[in-house]
Formats: sequence, structure tokens, C-alpha cells
Amino acid sequence: MRNLLILISVIFSFSNLQASEVSEWFKNESIQFLEIINNNEGTENENYENYKYFVNKNFAIKSIAYGLIGENIINKSSKNELSIYLNVFTDYLIKTIYKLANSNTSSSIILKDVDIKDNIYIVKSIISDEKSSANLYWKVIDTGSSFKIIDVIVENTSYFVTKKSEFNKILRRNRGSLEALINEIQKI
Amino acid sequence: MKKHLKVILLIISVTFLQIPISYSNEEVSVSGISYDEIYDPIEPINRAVLNFNFFIDDIAIRPIVKTYRFIAPEPVEKGVSNFFGNLKEPIRSVSFIFQGEFYKSFNSLGRFTINTLTSLGTFDLASRVGLEENETDFGITLAKGGVSSGPYIVLPIIGPSNLRDFSGDVVEYFVDPISNSVPNREYLVIGNGLNERVEVDDQLDKVRTASSDRYEMIKSIYYQNRNAQLEEEYIQNLPVPKIYIE
Repeated sequence: MRNLLILISVIFSFSNLQASEVSEWFKNESIQFLEIINNNEGTENENYENYKYFVNKNFAIKSIAYGLIGENIINKSSKNELSIYLNVFTDYLIKTIYKLANSNTSSSIILKDVDIKDNIYIVKSIISDEKSSANLYWKVIDTGSSFKIIDVIVENTSYFVTKKSEFNKILRRNRGSLEALINEIQKI
Repeated sequence: MKKHLKVILLIISVTFLQIPISYSNEEVSVSGISYDEIYDPIEPINRAVLNFNFFIDDIAIRPIVKTYRFIAPEPVEKGVSNFFGNLKEPIRSVSFIFQGEFYKSFNSLGRFTINTLTSLGTFDLASRVGLEENETDFGITLAKGGVSSGPYIVLPIIGPSNLRDFSGDVVEYFVDPISNSVPNREYLVIGNGLNERVEVDDQLDKVRTASSDRYEMIKSIYYQNRNAQLEEEYIQNLPVPKIYIE
């Protein structure tokens, strides 16, 4: 019984430690994110480069990219096709995050809570500017060396879920052709 | 009234007799709700209606909304939004009774009373005394009663819906105690519609620029928002990608 209690307390303090680590990571990265979206002085190209750096550093790009097309497409595609897709998708992710975030001049992101489910951290925050505020959730994984974002949910709208339905539609329309998807997302 | 009742009964019976929603099984969330393929048998018609809606929005509604947002100071915009929100409280109260949520029903009624008496609904003073806003409608009531969403539909001017939610809207139109007691209710309906359009203005701008298929994006956003109103642990249960080593 005593050992069980010790085990429970060790697990509990370990998960608390992990939650505080992810909170610390989030606070640092959200400051950087705010600096990028509030920066109205740089040229469009400079702003885009800042987004690119942020997305490359903090997003689990491969997981999101592969998750959006699903196992069937991954298995039937060549390494070369997947590599091209990954490059094009990285660019697409940066552009869509840039377009979604750049129009907001946000003044703050406040961390509200960190929850964990199935080894995925759900970081709840509130993004607000002088006009309005919105709930912003970040689904984050611990890769061992760093934390990576796998989904961003604004109010109730998930980036991953929304893009998955868009990608599925394109794939279905083109009989599962990854090449067609690549061409389509390059248009953005 | 008899005629109205017949229409309501007809819509409810059609809703209950509909074919259950079909999903593909590729990506299923923990809760069992799939977002991969939403039942959309009349997609070509829906796409045409959506294009029509965007056309009308571009030439008529959007300029009005942009001008209004440019002219109206933030407190005015907020006040108008509160005013229309407050008018929905009585029908929400009725919906909550059907859902068996009696506390929330009284909460809605309390909010309506306080906000109407203090500011004609333009300020949300009720939340300051602990009566927080709870959103619901008859579509949610039907969903909680086990009615499946049915086919996705895009309504002219009104926008995205599904057979269940549309049926709920029709029922609300006839039983809403507020709009039924107003002499020229069409003005109220137009005002409410414009207010709802103002509230989604920023999101619509993003849909226009950040989507490879705006029809799919709007459909997905619509279902995600409806599911969030139905599911308690919605955020936790959303599907996530399988993790690959970067």
C-alpha cells in the first residue's frame, strides 16, 4: 500500500513537472509569436521569414502533413513524391498560418491551463486585442528534445480537422493522386 | 396556427425519418465523431448556392457590413450584438426545458429579465451577477434527443446548415415568443441576420484567403462548431495526427 502511494505521488509529481515544462516553453514561444504578429514595421517578405522560422521551429510539420493525407496515400506514394509533398506542405502551412494570424494585431496571449490526454498536452490560452478575445488551444507533443505543435484550435475550429477535410476532398476528387493535391495546395 | 402546427409536424417527421449520417472510417476521433466525410448528397447544389451567397455577399452584404464596422464604434457594435443576443434568451429558455436543463432554462429567463430591464438588452449586466450566457437552439435539442444531423445543406442567403438544424430553425421561427409578438418581425429577422454576419466577418475574410476549397472549409467549420456545442470534452476528443519522427 505504501509503495503504491509512493508510486502514485511520483507519477503525479512527474506529470506536474512536465506540465510546468510545457507551460514554460509555451510562455517563451507565445512571446515570440506575438512579436511576429504584432510586427507591422518589417516588409512583407521579412514578416513571412519570421513566420517561417517560427513554424519550422515549433510545428510537428511531418506529422501534420502525413496526418492530413492518411496512411493509404503514404503507403502508395514513392519517397520522392512524399519528399516533394512535405516541402510544398511546409510552405503551405507557413502561408496559411501567416494569412490566418497576420490580419490580427493582437496585444496578448494569456496561458490559462495545461491539460494532458494520451501524451498530448492541450494548452489553453486566450488571445486578445483591443477589440475582442478568443480561446486558443494548442495541442503539443514532447519529442524528447523539444515540444512541437500538432494542432491549433481557435475557439472550436481545429486547423488539422479543417485542412484534413479540404485535403480529403481534393484527393477524392483526383482518385487519390498526391500530385494533384500538391498542385492544388501550391496555388495558395 | 393550425397551419403552422402542420408545417412543424411535417418537418419533425421528415427529420426523424431521414437516413442516418454516414461517415468513412479513416479518421475517427476518440468520441466516435468523424470529421472526414460529412453526409453531403446534394453537394453540387450546395456549391452553387454557396457561390450565389458569396456573390450576393460581395455585391451587397459585405459592403454594408464593412461600412458599419468602420463607422460604428466598438461599444455600439457590442451593444447591437448584445441586443440581438438578448432576444434569443426566451427561446433558449424553452429549448433548455425540452433538454431537461431546468437550471439553464431559469438562467436564460433571468438573463433576459435583468438585461431587458436594465438596458433593453444592450449591456450584458446579467453575467456580472453570475448569470452566464449558455447558447442553445432547437437543433441542439433535436440532437440531444438522438436525431442525426441529416444531409448538409447550404441555404440561400442564410448559409450552412443541415436538415436537423434547419428543422430546428423553422420550429423556432414559429414558437419564438419574442419575434411572434413583434408587429414587423421581418425587420427583426433582417437585423439579426446582419448582426450574425458582422460577428463572422473576420472569419469569412480568412476563409476567402486561407483556403484551397472554401466550400469544404465552411462545411468543416460549421460541423466543428455544432459538435462543440454538443460534446463536453470536444477539444480533447478532436482527432490528432499520428506522430512521425521529424
